[in-house]
Amino acid sequence: MSDFLQSTEEIKKVDDFLDSGFKIQYVYENLSGMFVEFARQEEVVHLQILTADARKYFAAKLQEQTLLQ
Amino acid sequence: MADLRIDLAGIKSPNPFWLASAPPTNSGYQVQRAFEAGWGGAVWKTLGEPILNVSSRFAAVSYNGQRVAGFNNIELITDRPLEVNLKEIYETKKRYPHHAIIASLMVEPKQEKWHEIVKRVEDVGVDGLELNFGCPHGMAERGMGSASGQVPELVEKQTYWVKEVARTPVIVKLTPNITDITVTAEAATRGGADAISMINTINSLAGVDLDTWNTIPHVAGKGAHGGYCGPAVKPIALNMVAECARNPHIQVPISGIGGISNWQDAAEFMLMGATGVQVCTAAMHHGFSIVEDMIDGLNHYLDDKGIASVKELVGRSVPRYSDWGNLDLNYKIVAEINNDVCINCNKCHIACEDTSHQCIDLYTENGQPMLKVREEDCVGCNLCSIVCPVDGAISMVERQSAIAPMTWNERQLLMNSLSK
Repeated sequence: MSDFLQSTEEIKKVDDFLDSGFKIQYVYENLSGMFVEFARQEEVVHLQILTADARKYFAAKLQEQTLLQ
Repeated sequence: MADLRIDLAGIKSPNPFWLASAPPTNSGYQVQRAFEAGWGGAVWKTLGEPILNVSSRFAAVSYNGQRVAGFNNIELITDRPLEVNLKEIYETKKRYPHHAIIASLMVEPKQEKWHEIVKRVEDVGVDGLELNFGCPHGMAERGMGSASGQVPELVEKQTYWVKEVARTPVIVKLTPNITDITVTAEAATRGGADAISMINTINSLAGVDLDTWNTIPHVAGKGAHGGYCGPAVKPIALNMVAECARNPHIQVPISGIGGISNWQDAAEFMLMGATGVQVCTAAMHHGFSIVEDMIDGLNHYLDDKGIASVKELVGRSVPRYSDWGNLDLNYKIVAEINNDVCINCNKCHIACEDTSHQCIDLYTENGQPMLKVREEDCVGCNLCSIVCPVDGAISMVERQSAIAPMTWNERQLLMNSLSK
C-alpha cells in the first residue's frame, strides 16, 4: 500500500473516533510510531498511527481539541 | 545609483568589497592595483614573524568542467620582514586615503607579542586590525592560527590583549574548524572585539594522484593538510555568518568571507548579516577586475529593489533563519512538470524512483513520452527540480494544506501536555 493510501486510512480512523464522540486522552511515541488512547466516558480505545502525514494530522486534531477545552 | 559605502565598526570603505588576507594582498604593488581596479578595502596578508614557505602551495578541485570549484592552499603568512610590509602599507594608505587597509596579524599567544605588533602596525596608519585565529595549516602546528582560534579562552584572552593597546577597530577572524562557531564568536566579543570575520579556510586535502599516489599538492613526495576555500565552501560560510548574526549574544558587525565570487554571493552574505565581504579565491581565479562586475551588479540590484544604500541590505534575511524546530510541518509544496519544456531525459524520474519517494510516473500520450507527478505522494523534497537540466521544466508549487500551521516545537508542547 502506498504511504498516501495508508495515511488516508489512518486519518479516517482518527476522524471516525473523534466524530463518534471520543476524546484524545493520551498519546505517546516510540520507535514503532504513535500510540493514541481515545476515551468516551468509560470506553477506551487505542490506535497506532504509523504514517508521517497521519501523525501530522493527529497533532492538528489534538490542537483543535485543546483549543476547545 | 545606490550608495555602496559601508562602515564596519568604524572602518569606512567606498564599497563593501574587500580583498581578504591572502596572496592577493601580499604587497603594496598588489593592493594598489586592487584599489585602482575598484576594491574598497584590503586586508593585508597576515603579518607576523616572517615565515618560510614551501614550493608547490596551491591545488584546486575542478568538478565537471567547473575550474576551481574549490581551492586548497598550504601557503603560510607573510615571508617578508615587518618593516617592508609597514613601509608599503604606509605608502599605500597615503596614496589611497579613502580605501580601507586592515592589517591581519598573527603572533604567539603572548601579551607582549600582541602589544608589540599592534603598536608598530598602527603607527603606519592602518584603518583596523584583523586577528588571524583561523589559518589551519602550518602556523597552527606552532600554536597560532586555528590552534588558538579553536580555544574560546585563548580567543578571548588574545583579543583582550590586543584591545589593551589598540587604537583602531579590532576584527577577530574565526576558524570554521570547530563544532559551533558562535562559541568562539562570543569569546571574541567578551574579549572586546569590535567586529568578527568568517570564515577562514577549512582543513582539507585536495586529492591524491592516482598514478604517483602523491598527495595534491605535494612537496617532494610529501603532503600536509591545507585550507579549503572557494565556491564550494560558500554554503558553510553563509550558515556560520547567519548563525552568528542571529545570536543575541553576538552584537558586533560581521565581515563575511567564504567562496564569494560575484555580487549575488555578496548580497546573500549581507542579507544574512554581513556588513561587508572579503574575497580571495575569485580574485585569484579571475583577477582584480572582477570587482567591476561586483560593483555594477550590486548597484543595479539595489536600484531594482529601490534601496538607496547597501547598508539597508544588512541582516534583512536574518529573521527568516531559525532552528528546524520552528519550521511549519504542514507547509506543502509539490513538483509540477511542464511537458512542453521537458526534454524527456528522465533524470527526474530516475532520481525520484531510485533515491526519493517514487512519485514521478512515465506514460505515453499520443505517442509522446510524458512525465507526471503524483502529488499525493510527492513530499516536496526538490530533488527532481535540482537534477533537471532544463530551466522551467519543473516548478515547485505551493499547495494549500488541509491542516493549520504547526512547528515541531509547538507539536512537542502539545504532545507533552497529554503525557501521563
